[in-house]
Amino acid sequence: MRLIVADDSLLLREGISRLLVEAGFQVVGLAATAEEALRQVAQQEPDVAIVDIKMPPTHTDEGLRAAREIRTRHPGVGVLVLSQYVELGLAARLLAENAAGLGYLLKDRITDLGEFAAAVRRVGAGGSALDPAIVSQLLARRREDSALDRITAREREVLALMAEGYSNQAIADRLVITVRAVEKHVTSIFDRLGVPATTDSHRRVLAVLAFLRS
Amino acid sequence: MSRRVDAVLVVAGALVAGGLAVALTATSDHEGLRVVGHPQSPVFVLLIGWSFIGSGLVAWRDPRSGRFGALMMAVGFAWFAASLEASGDPLLFSIGRVIAPLWIGIFLHALLSFPTGRLESAAARWVVGAYYLDVTVIQLAWVLFADVEGFPGCEECPANLFLVADNPALARAILIVEQPVVGVLALGSALVLLVLRWRAATAPLRRALAPVLTSGGICVLILLVTILVEPFSPATGRVVGWLGGVAFTAVPLAFLTGLLLRRLDRSSVGDLVVELGETAAPPDLRGALSRALHDPSLQIAYWLAHNDSYVDSDGRPIVLPPAGGASASTMVEHGGRRVAAVVHDASLLQDPGLIRAVCAAAGLALANARLQAELRARLDDLRESRTRIVEAGQAERRRLERDLHDGAQQRLLSVALGLRLVEVRLAGHPAEADHVARWRSELERSLEELREVAHGIHPAVLTDHGLAVALETVVARSAVPVRLSVDADGRLPEAVEATAYYLVSEALTNTAKHARAAKATVQVVRRGELLLVEVTDDGIGGADIARGSGLRGLADRVAAVEGRFTVTSPAGGGTSIKAEIPCV
Repeated sequence: MRLIVADDSLLLREGISRLLVEAGFQVVGLAATAEEALRQVAQQEPDVAIVDIKMPPTHTDEGLRAAREIRTRHPGVGVLVLSQYVELGLAARLLAENAAGLGYLLKDRITDLGEFAAAVRRVGAGGSALDPAIVSQLLARRREDSALDRITAREREVLALMAEGYSNQAIADRLVITVRAVEKHVTSIFDRLGVPATTDSHRRVLAVLAFLRS
Repeated sequence: MSRRVDAVLVVAGALVAGGLAVALTATSDHEGLRVVGHPQSPVFVLLIGWSFIGSGLVAWRDPRSGRFGALMMAVGFAWFAASLEASGDPLLFSIGRVIAPLWIGIFLHALLSFPTGRLESAAARWVVGAYYLDVTVIQLAWVLFADVEGFPGCEECPANLFLVADNPALARAILIVEQPVVGVLALGSALVLLVLRWRAATAPLRRALAPVLTSGGICVLILLVTILVEPFSPATGRVVGWLGGVAFTAVPLAFLTGLLLRRLDRSSVGDLVVELGETAAPPDLRGALSRALHDPSLQIAYWLAHNDSYVDSDGRPIVLPPAGGASASTMVEHGGRRVAAVVHDASLLQDPGLIRAVCAAAGLALANARLQAELRARLDDLRESRTRIVEAGQAERRRLERDLHDGAQQRLLSVALGLRLVEVRLAGHPAEADHVARWRSELERSLEELREVAHGIHPAVLTDHGLAVALETVVARSAVPVRLSVDADGRLPEAVEATAYYLVSEALTNTAKHARAAKATVQVVRRGELLLVEVTDDGIGGADIARGSGLRGLADRVAAVEGRFTVTSPAGGGTSIKAEIPCV
């Protein structure tokens, strides 16, 4: 898979790209600014652009805007937004229209190379990746209705992985159960929570996110 | 003393001159010249002469209007002197003929120099000079060449002793120069000057000038009409002339009325004392002083001892007007201490007694009001410095967070990445790789803690992405279920966002800790220039700003950005915390 890495810190840019190379990816471009990232994407048409959310000049939301622009101009390029803090509100806004080929992860996740590589591959394949911290925050959130109490602990696990963007196969692999079992859990979850069922893993992310935020 | 002796002499002179004038006019054997306003009725003769001399005497005794008084008296004596033309004696008659119109010249001089007796403008000096020339030199020239037959209405007059040559054509030409030309020009200009002066005058000045300028202006107008009408219709001229006589008597009366008005102004000081005496701090002190001095522009500038400056009653700074301008200031002291300056129309300085009396009457009230104004000014200072302190604290926290993010957090993260890389390279040495992995996870926990610390110092998401995004995490972390609605497009000023953010997070923390609530609502709405923030729960209520230091802190934060903060928390009825924060 061909990647470009955009981060204004040289140390992090190099570190991220070397780890990704170690994980078997091909890093075809490095960028220190949002503009450069856009240029690299246009030239290289990578599978995934990994973009730091804080970039010059104001170090606020330049990365976010670059991510949106890449998605509009190059719908075939997946975008993985990295940040030193992850925010629920930001995730919701970022994924709002279309979660396909989009990821939003805490930058620290990259040290867990296996998970991180899986997330990059998901995004590169048109799926989604939502940081576990956001998902666990959403699941821990106190709610007025008790719908979440109606599902089992196992279903909760499946729900969390669904929200992070895992496919049924990936969930099955992770939980060491059969895909058939995962499908049963998923149907049960949608039933009990009253979420409209969908098989597309990235649409599922949105549906679950919408339910958990409400 | 000498002024008193002089006054006695003036009175004696006026009596003698008046007597002679009446005697001359009453015994006159000829109709004589009707110089404007000089019908030969003894009553008019005495009335006009004595009223000018009398009111002139009154004015003369006050040093500030002494010159004007002298001019008024001169008008009166010149008026009596004009009666010489009624004499049957050729010499007296001839002298009277020459000096008959002189009093009008002096009158014009007095009118244009009211109230100081000095002609302040070059234009006025030119007009008065020209008119003096007209009624003296040109009048004499006319007398030199006109025989009595040439004098209108003077068929039975005695001989003109000053006649050089009887030249009716020349006499008529001179008369035309004297009256319709120079006379009309000078009187017309004088009228224009009076009108200009009136229009330029401020309200208090108009009040002082009104009686004399109005009656004097009417006199000048009548003189003009008489000069223009008499040659065509002697009968009309006679009527207008009689009207002029009435008008002239009005001028000294008007002057005396003005004096009386001033005395009445002093009595309004009495009203002021009564008005101010009723309360220690009258609500409208400025209005009371303004009424007493008849100066709508009046301002009170309270003195601030700590920085020797002046402020108005709301504590806003005032700069005193420089000397010599359209407004002036009078210092007010009370109990030996400076209290305030009254800023008023400069014309009021002409009656310093009145200003002094008003300021003295208002001294105590002004001293009380000054304390209030000083308090307000200090409160303003305090409010501004509190806002500055809060903003400086906010900026400092933001800087700290950013330093952590750009510095320690990035570096530690890159070290973690480096360690991870080492682990990959140590794939063939599981024991060593395991060691490194343990250090790395320690490092990652430190990073997590550091992230929490940085977020606690300042939520970067607030600066980077605004209030709506930042509040979503606050609400998600709340231990009580929260319904959040934010209706405020775009970014707001930093201080406003920070205040609203801390208000919501602190209020939700309180709810979780104390309210025993089942749910809470957070509403953030922008209404024009206000951001309305409301946090409501269905808990046990009973929250009190006075007791909870958290609430106290919130109230302070909102106050620091000039906002309004209210807590409604009846026992058992839930708690509602509301803030209105101005978005400027």
